[in-house]
Amino acid sequence: GGDNLFDSILMADNRFHNEGYQEGFEEGVRVGLAEGRSHGAAHGAKVATEVSFYYGFALTWKCLLQNSTDARASKRLKTVESLIGLIQRFPHDDPSYENLQEDMERVRAKFRQTCSLLNVPVDFRDYVNGSHGLSF
Amino acid sequence: MKDSLKLVTKFSGHPDSRCWYVAWNPNGTLLASSGGDRAIRIWGREGDAWVCKSVLQDGHQRTVRKVAWSPCGTYLASASFDATTCIWRKKEDDFESLTTLEGHENEVKCVAWAPSGSLLATCSRDKSVWVWEVDEEEEYECVSVVNSHTQDVKHVVWHPTQELLASASYDNAVKLYHEDDDDWVCLTTLEGHESTVWSLAFDQSGGRLASCSDDRTVRIWKEYRPGNEQGVVCNGTDPTWKCICTLSGYHTRTIYDISWCHLTGAIATACGDDAIRVFEEESSSDPHQPTFSLMGHVAKAHAQDVNCVAWNPKEAGLLASCSDDGEIGIWSYQSQA
Repeated sequence: GGDNLFDSILMADNRFHNEGYQEGFEEGVRVGLAEGRSHGAAHGAKVATEVSFYYGFALTWKCLLQNSTDARASKRLKTVESLIGLIQRFPHDDPSYENLQEDMERVRAKFRQTCSLLNVPVDFRDYVNGSHGLSF
Repeated sequence: MKDSLKLVTKFSGHPDSRCWYVAWNPNGTLLASSGGDRAIRIWGREGDAWVCKSVLQDGHQRTVRKVAWSPCGTYLASASFDATTCIWRKKEDDFESLTTLEGHENEVKCVAWAPSGSLLATCSRDKSVWVWEVDEEEEYECVSVVNSHTQDVKHVVWHPTQELLASASYDNAVKLYHEDDDDWVCLTTLEGHESTVWSLAFDQSGGRLASCSDDRTVRIWKEYRPGNEQGVVCNGTDPTWKCICTLSGYHTRTIYDISWCHLTGAIATACGDDAIRVFEEESSSDPHQPTFSLMGHVAKAHAQDVNCVAWNPKEAGLLASCSDDGEIGIWSYQSQA
């Protein structure tokens, strides 16, 4: 029995260290998950706001252009449709999609080209600046 | 190499300002310069003197970073820090502003005409490269915006005969683009420079590309097509651009510009150490592993950073340069190879 008594004293440091680690780890997992979930939700909402804005913009212009007889309309319509196509193929329901940033850049580039062709000044900072880059 | 590069004349191009860029018109008779004073000046030779033929003002609100002549020599495009690109049309001895291209979010760093004259490329600090198409009515329309670089795009240049575009960036990379299904896409990325790539120049055939960088080196890249005898691996039908030569140890500061003479094959560089250097390929060297030697060097070519060098397209050995000191230099290079 004497050995065990000394053991429990000598090993106390180690035991409490392990218990503390375990408790801390569990607490960390809980807090981290909550934080991650909220960051993901916030960032996802920003990306969705931006993409949805482009989509609404493109659909509106498609309606305006499709019955136009202007010689330039067909080229513009083609670009608008190409923007719509990019957004429709965008897998917005897959959070682990690996080309998310790359595809986002393509959509942004097509949007800017569309604005240039339509002579629409690109100043939509309130709508689109929210999700520039993924920051931690 | 002694005295191979001689000063012909030097004059103040943009007084009390920086001179950023000089460009020869296609027949080599006029030199356009741009500067921090927001002006573009057109210079021509009269006897031994270089005189200012016209000043293109009021086109831009900020520094005019670069200028480019159309292949026909009738139009001049200017890229400015005010986020716009102006197109000017030559009318007898003067120039009129034709249109302003807007779209970049901030500073436009460079503009270049494709060899056909019907396409124009611009690049900006906003990291994008834009390709514009010109129709018969002189209307410009954006045909593509490419967000391929991750940083400020410093330079764009077209292949001398094909519709192939190259860009250089603060992200240390060079990218090549071609048209694919109505859009312009990045075809390949040339990696190797360890810092900002400032400028690019194709050789006369377009089979080689030279790049210069803040890492104080010049790299020469060569195109290898699928099925090449050297066994350079290609992806599908796309060619591979391989670095076949690195010029290091010659420059002591950032190399801001490079010009590859299409008449003689000589390469000139503009450096932050105020010097101009000329390199020539050794005639006996292996085309797949060429050796370039320093054949001309003027240590204090300008009082400050040399921003640009440009070989005259018609008169072999005639070189123009410009600097932060606002001056333009005209040099004569005699090959001693």
